[in-house]
Amino acid sequence: MPDSESSILQGTLDLMVLKTLEHLGPLHGYGIALRIEQVGERALIVNQGTVYLCLVRLVQKKWIKAEWGVSDNNRKAKFYALTKAGRKQLQAETANWERIAGVMGRLLHPRTGS
Amino acid sequence: MLSFFYTFAARIRGFLRKGELESDFDQELAAHLRMAEEDGLRRGLTVEEARRAARVQLGGITQLRESWREAWGLPWLDGFALDVKLGLRMLRRSWGLTLAGGLAMTIVITIAAVVFVFLDEFMGRTSPPLDEGERVVALQSWDAQAHRRREMSRRDLERWGATLQSVQDLGGFQTVECRLKVESRPAEWVRVAEITASGFRLARVQPLLGRWIADADERLAAPPVVVIGYDVWQSRFASDPAVIGQTVRLGEILHTVVGVMPERFAFPVNHRYWTPLRSDPSGSLKPAPQGAVFARLAPGVSLDGAQAELTTIGLLPPATRPPSGDARRPRVVPYTFAFTDDVERGELAWQQRIILLLVSLLLVPPCLNIAILIYARTVTRQEEFAARFALGASRSRIVVQLCVEVLVLSSAAGAMALVLTRPILTQIGEIIRRFPELGGSLPFWVDFDFSWRAALFVAGLTVVAALIAGLAPALQATGRVLPTALRSLGSRTGIPLGATWTALLVAQVALALAALPSTIELAWGHLRPAVLGPGFAAREFLTARLAVDPQSVPAAEANLTAFASRLRSLQAEVIRQIQAEAGTSAVTFAASFPGAEPLMFVEMDEGVAGGRPVRRYVRTNQVDRAFFTVFDVPALAGRTFDGRDFGSAATAIVDQTFVRQVVGGDNAIGRRVRPVPAPGSEAGPWYEIVGIVPDRPANTSQGRMYVPAMTGARRPASPIQLALRAGPDPAAMSRRLQDIVTNLHPTLRLDDVRRLDEVLGETQISSNLTSYALVIVTLSVLILSAAGLYALMSFTVTLRRREIGIRTALGAPPWRLLASIFARALWQIAAGVVVGVTAALVLHRWLNIEVEGGWHIPGILPAAAIFILTIGLLSAAGPARRAVRVDPTEALRNG
Repeated sequence: MPDSESSILQGTLDLMVLKTLEHLGPLHGYGIALRIEQVGERALIVNQGTVYLCLVRLVQKKWIKAEWGVSDNNRKAKFYALTKAGRKQLQAETANWERIAGVMGRLLHPRTGS
Repeated sequence: MLSFFYTFAARIRGFLRKGELESDFDQELAAHLRMAEEDGLRRGLTVEEARRAARVQLGGITQLRESWREAWGLPWLDGFALDVKLGLRMLRRSWGLTLAGGLAMTIVITIAAVVFVFLDEFMGRTSPPLDEGERVVALQSWDAQAHRRREMSRRDLERWGATLQSVQDLGGFQTVECRLKVESRPAEWVRVAEITASGFRLARVQPLLGRWIADADERLAAPPVVVIGYDVWQSRFASDPAVIGQTVRLGEILHTVVGVMPERFAFPVNHRYWTPLRSDPSGSLKPAPQGAVFARLAPGVSLDGAQAELTTIGLLPPATRPPSGDARRPRVVPYTFAFTDDVERGELAWQQRIILLLVSLLLVPPCLNIAILIYARTVTRQEEFAARFALGASRSRIVVQLCVEVLVLSSAAGAMALVLTRPILTQIGEIIRRFPELGGSLPFWVDFDFSWRAALFVAGLTVVAALIAGLAPALQATGRVLPTALRSLGSRTGIPLGATWTALLVAQVALALAALPSTIELAWGHLRPAVLGPGFAAREFLTARLAVDPQSVPAAEANLTAFASRLRSLQAEVIRQIQAEAGTSAVTFAASFPGAEPLMFVEMDEGVAGGRPVRRYVRTNQVDRAFFTVFDVPALAGRTFDGRDFGSAATAIVDQTFVRQVVGGDNAIGRRVRPVPAPGSEAGPWYEIVGIVPDRPANTSQGRMYVPAMTGARRPASPIQLALRAGPDPAAMSRRLQDIVTNLHPTLRLDDVRRLDEVLGETQISSNLTSYALVIVTLSVLILSAAGLYALMSFTVTLRRREIGIRTALGAPPWRLLASIFARALWQIAAGVVVGVTAALVLHRWLNIEVEGGWHIPGILPAAAIFILTIGLLSAAGPARRAVRVDPTEALRNG
């Protein structure tokens, strides 16, 4: 496996799914997997099946809810949508992630003289 | 934190709706694959390529489903369910182990559960079933030095009622026995609660008819009133709605019925009649269970708070100060606790825990037996475990599986115990109800229903049993077996049997043999009277207890002799009148009826051997002259009692068992015997043996000594037991007896008029239960031992199959093969027998079997040893037969 292609950090996928649902609204599992692949631009390896395990976790925590609907192609599909608790969680996770990313950024690229 | 609970709840939902969710997920995956395939087709892939690409992108579907199942459900519960299923299968397959082990565990768990419920109900842990019953308390005068509850002065009761702020509805009661006469019905003796009006306010139970006792009724000049219970209203007043205002005679005084309490109301203990407790500042209240001071904790006040206030107020000094100082102090205890024994609060909990621990320890022997068998079975299942180990199951997973298998067995035993406990408790309740101090009914808070606490206790015991019987063999077997078994998967040679195995087997044989003689003797001793009968026509006799109203006994010592003399003439008159009745061929009286005589430790004047006095427990009875004639007991040597014996001479008659056990078979006439004095007290008189009679009843193991009744007047109020040949109609005779006694003198009372065979049958109930339990335990120990030996032999033959094949092929004669196979088993059985015989001798010496109600059976020990040896050899016979029939070619080919 090339070094440049990274596996997804544990817990990061939850954030990605929550963010995708916030950005695109209610979406089925396949759509979520495609969106993550698209955003990742092949830099991240996501097994589409893994998305379903992540969705189970989020449904159980009541951060997202699921209901059957009809896709654009007129196919029956299960759609996932963000709940109020999920939105709150997303804000908390985003803030946390940005804080860690900021720290990592400063650590990896220290400004001279600072 | 919240999300953790959400997840847990969702997992439980997932576990319960597994099928529905799985089909939902399958549909979702199918939709996913269809969308992915359509995308592939749009990108120009062929149908086959698009399908393949969709599956590759999704990943392994089987693995995904597995992970999804784990994420949704409760995987450990799934594993547990699987283990239970395997356990049930193993129980079916090893039915011998299931039957013997299950039976032994069931008995022990049942005994423990019965003891638990008994302690829970009687040792005051339960609060009475009243409104806010847990806030009802009793106030006592506790003598810390003598460790006893003392009587309460009425002055203290009144002072506390006026000053205590931490309690409400303070009052008291005491039980008195009164002769009740309702219109034309025959008079009877009843237990009446003399109670303060506050008792009814405290109980908060409204009367069904009329009113409670009021404060005004307590005044000395107030007209006498009585409140009656529902049962009394039904039986004595035929549920008459106009009962209020009617009169009944209690003792010599007419009382007006002012109220009827609802069904099951029996406050303060088990009462059905309530009269006012009259104001009497100079009087006192008897200590529990005959009396008590009760109250309800004021709102917001704890038991400790009430105790603090009571300690401050204290007790008034006694009228006469005891020389050792006043060690009394007031204490507040939960209400039901007041009616348990004379104990401190902390002590009771400890006593309870220790008793429960000891009873629970009974689980150890059967569980160890089962552990041996489980171990034997795990050793023969080595290949199964090795395969699972190779496929990735951890050692702990296999250990859990084995423990769950045993848990299935112990749970079945626990369930059986739950079923058995209830009828046994009902029986015990019936026995306890007959205790004279309870007057025919249990305290109202005692309910032998199986509580959730008892169910929890049984559940705990089943888990403990599973751990004792399952954990040790599982750890031992997986620790030793797995690595060896893995190596042996291909070679099919076995694992060796260790020293633990040998030690356990020897211990098992020894345990079975050590316990066998004593249990057989005990069981037979208890069963003999039921099997062989009392040896005389007990059904022809009626027995009854003739007592005197305790309130009529003079308090002053000086008046006691005159009272006793008057009582004797009254008793003689009762007997004369009964004898005069048609249909009564004979009547006699004694302190106890035959079969219920108390045990007493006696000693002979000189020893049979070595000059040391022979001391022994025997049953003693005080009887009148007619006793031996009425019961058809002839003198085998010497004579029975006559006029000479009822004067000052101290004479005794003993039975044949007494002569055998105490005198050692020598001539007993003329020898002297006396009760062994308690340490520090003066020795009683010597009784000269003047006659020897046959055993009555014939089939009990203890010797009997009869002394003349009424030789002293130390306790004139003690009831005596009447026995008479009842004639053709015992029921009519019973009614006539009541009339004779009631009409003769109002202070005399006749209770418990029953046929002697019924009384003997009732006393036999607990003996029967004990014997059945002993027989079943012994049988299961024997079956478990036989099964253990069978497992050992089977296993030995399986392991040595190849060797046997080679030796048979080389022409070894069958006897030599048999000898070599049997050698190990024989050695183990023999070692077990030697240890067992030694232990049995020690146990027999330590346990005084005859005192415990057992029956000495000559030659029981060698018979038991031969029996165990035979069982051992028979258990080994089947596998040995298989060994000599081993086909050499097959054995060499298959290993």
